[in-house]
Parts: sequence; structure tokens; C-alpha cells
Amino acid sequence: MATVEKQKEIKEKLRNAVIQYDEDACKEAAQEALSEGLDANDAIFNGLVSGMEEVGRMFEAQEYFVPEMLMCADALYAGLDILKPHVKQMDLGVKGSVVIGTVEGDVHDIGKNIVKMMFDVAGFTVYDLGRDVPLDSFVKEQMKTDSDLVCLSAMMTTTMTGMKKVIDDLRTKNPNVKIMLGGAPVSQDVADKYGADGYAKDASNALKDAINMVSSLKKLKDEAEAKKKAK
Amino acid sequence: MKVSLRKELLDHGATVVGIAGLRGYLSGEIAHLDRAVSIGVDRRLNEDTLSLLARLQKRAVRFLKARGHRTLAIPPDSDRKKTTFISTLYCLFNHKMAATSAGLGWIGKNGLLISPKYGPRLSLATVLTDARLRADAPVEHGQCGKCMLCIEHCPSKAITGLEWSRSSPFEELVRLGECRSHKTGKRQMTGKPNCGLCINICPYGRKEANTQ
Repeated sequence: MATVEKQKEIKEKLRNAVIQYDEDACKEAAQEALSEGLDANDAIFNGLVSGMEEVGRMFEAQEYFVPEMLMCADALYAGLDILKPHVKQMDLGVKGSVVIGTVEGDVHDIGKNIVKMMFDVAGFTVYDLGRDVPLDSFVKEQMKTDSDLVCLSAMMTTTMTGMKKVIDDLRTKNPNVKIMLGGAPVSQDVADKYGADGYAKDASNALKDAINMVSSLKKLKDEAEAKKKAK
Repeated sequence: MKVSLRKELLDHGATVVGIAGLRGYLSGEIAHLDRAVSIGVDRRLNEDTLSLLARLQKRAVRFLKARGHRTLAIPPDSDRKKTTFISTLYCLFNHKMAATSAGLGWIGKNGLLISPKYGPRLSLATVLTDARLRADAPVEHGQCGKCMLCIEHCPSKAITGLEWSRSSPFEELVRLGECRSHKTGKRQMTGKPNCGLCINICPYGRKEANTQ
């Protein structure tokens, strides 16, 4: 097992590789993490995700624009692909599955993909329906997979109205499912009016919300570990 | 910086390198990266042009990043992974536009980039950046003149024969549907979609290819 400094150094490398959108460096650091025996969860959350948090901040501060953010996400995935097979199943108490997609008529899926990535990182099982998804597919997929969460995305006001129908259908079939909306034309008002449980303003806010969610999961995990240690 | 970047790329296998100033020509998402490093590699048979272009792009990216600049590498059209996030932005950009703006050549009647020295035999890749590189002088007009060779030799008669000019409104130089259907037919016959007669016949850069 590597020393604490060495572990810290590798996590710093992962973080920087994501911020610098350097896929090769990210893969290299991920390999190093494995060969040095780092815990994969630790490397993902305190390396990759910590880097993506910084990217989210830079995006909001307009230091980074869309292309940089996308490349950072690609770098994160490059590292994640290597680390993920070594993740021990986390006992978060909140693990679950999520159905996600961009509603019918809409092909804009950048925001959806970034939200999806954060779910991936958090260890959720993600059923990605892709873009331009027929409205009844959401309901069918939710029923089939018995998912806890359904995320709907739309970029255009014309397609946004489709969300209402999906929400109504979901509610009649399964009142317990949580529904989250995102996309440029959606607002908190719309989310309330349509009867959704959660809302994210746009790609950068969806990212932030998703990061917040991952951070809270991280906290839960830390608490669980602290409890274990206390015993 | 421009000189050393160009030298670095030429030393490692690039055939031509040009810098295009594209302020005002790019769509919103990539508008802040308004300098394009256009890299051309002479295609030769049995050589892995694509991997060479990928290596050159990485070199340019490392060079610019090390100096604190943002970069976005746009891979060659024939080598695009569709699975990455960034690939959704590739369609916003056109390599030939960058190459003509960087003064590497003009768009020939066959719709391809024609370099005065290498003809339509270059494979292109581009690295966009916000580094303040001094832009090369763009090429504004086609220089094919009266030459009709590609039009005469095109088996699908897809080439309209119009001369390209940057300032004139878009007109179809090649009827792509016809070119494509010819290649589809060819694939059914021989298993390969290859045609490329309009490349082979072009007199620019041809002599050099023969003497080597």
C-alpha cells in the first residue's frame, strides 16, 4: 500500500488531468492508482470528481466554455472506465437506479449526458434512453426497471410540453417515483406546475446539482465509515 | 511562438502547417477558439496517415497547453469516435474552411482542398486555440482555371465545374448524391467504395508523386 503522500499525489494527478482535459494523463494516473493499491472509490471521488467540481466552478465563472467542459467530461470517463471495475459496491443506503433521456422531438443531449455521467460516478444504475425519446418509453422503461428516479431533459419550449404528459403518466402508474427536470426552457415554476420533484436550470446547474448530489452521497458514505470505525 | 510551433510539427512529419484567423466565422460554442492550426499530411499508400495526424495533433495540443492556452483538437473527418462528449461539437467545424483560411490552398472544382504543391493529396486535421498566433494570408479564389480533367474523368458526372471563391454565395461544386451512389454501386461490385479518380487526375502535385 502506498504512503499517504503518494496517494495524495496520485489523486492530485487525477484531479488535474480532469481539469486540464488530458485523457492520456487521466488514464495513466488511473492505472497508477490501481498499481499503487489505492481504493477505487477514493480515487474516483477525491480525484476525478473533485476535478469535475473545479471544472463546474470554472464553467460558472466563465473561465471554461462548453468545449472545455465536454473534454473534461471525456477525460473523467477515460479514468472512470479504468477505475470502475475495481469499485467495491458502496453501501450508501441510497443507491438506486435512474431512467434518463431527452424528450421526444428534441435532439439536444449535452446537458443530459453530463447529468448522466454524475449518476454513473455515484454508482447508480443508469438506463439512458438517449435523445428524441418517445414519451411512453419513459413510462415503459420505468416500469420495466422499477427505477427510483426519472430524469427528463428538453432544450426547446415546443418539446418541453411533452414532459407534462410523461409526468402525468408516471404518476398514475407509479406515484412513488421521483421525477427531475432539466433544460433551458424549464424553470422552477414549470417544474412545480408539471408536478416534478426536482429541477435543474441548465447544463451548468444540472452539473452543480448533480455534483451536490454526489457530494451528499460522499458525506453519507463518510458518515457510514465513521460509524463503522466508532464501533 | 508561431514559428517554433510550425517547426515542431514539420519536424515530426507534417507536410504543411498554416494558421487561420477565424474570428467571426465560428459558431457560438467554439467562437472563443478563433485561431486554427491547420495541419496537412501528404497521403501515401501503405502509410498510416490517420495515426500520424493524431500524433501531430497531440503534439500541437501539448505545445499550446504548456504555454497556457486553450485548445480543441478536431480529428480528421474519417477518424471520428462518436461516443465522446466532445464529438457532438465536431460537426460545427470544417477542415477545408480552416485550410483555405490558413492559405494552404483553395477548394478545387472537385470540392477538395488543392495545395499548389501537393494538390488534393493532403489529409487534414485542425487544432483550434485561443493563443494569439499571427494568421497566415487566406486564399480567396480557386485557381483551377480552364482545367477540366476531374470533370471529364468523374465516372458519375458529379462535378459541376464551378470555380470556388470565398466571397461568392454557396454553390454546389460536386453533386454529392451522385458521387455517393457511384461509390455505393462500386462497393456492391468490388467490396470497396474506392473511387478517387478526381484526386488521381489532378495535375497539381501529380508529377511529384510520379517521380518518387
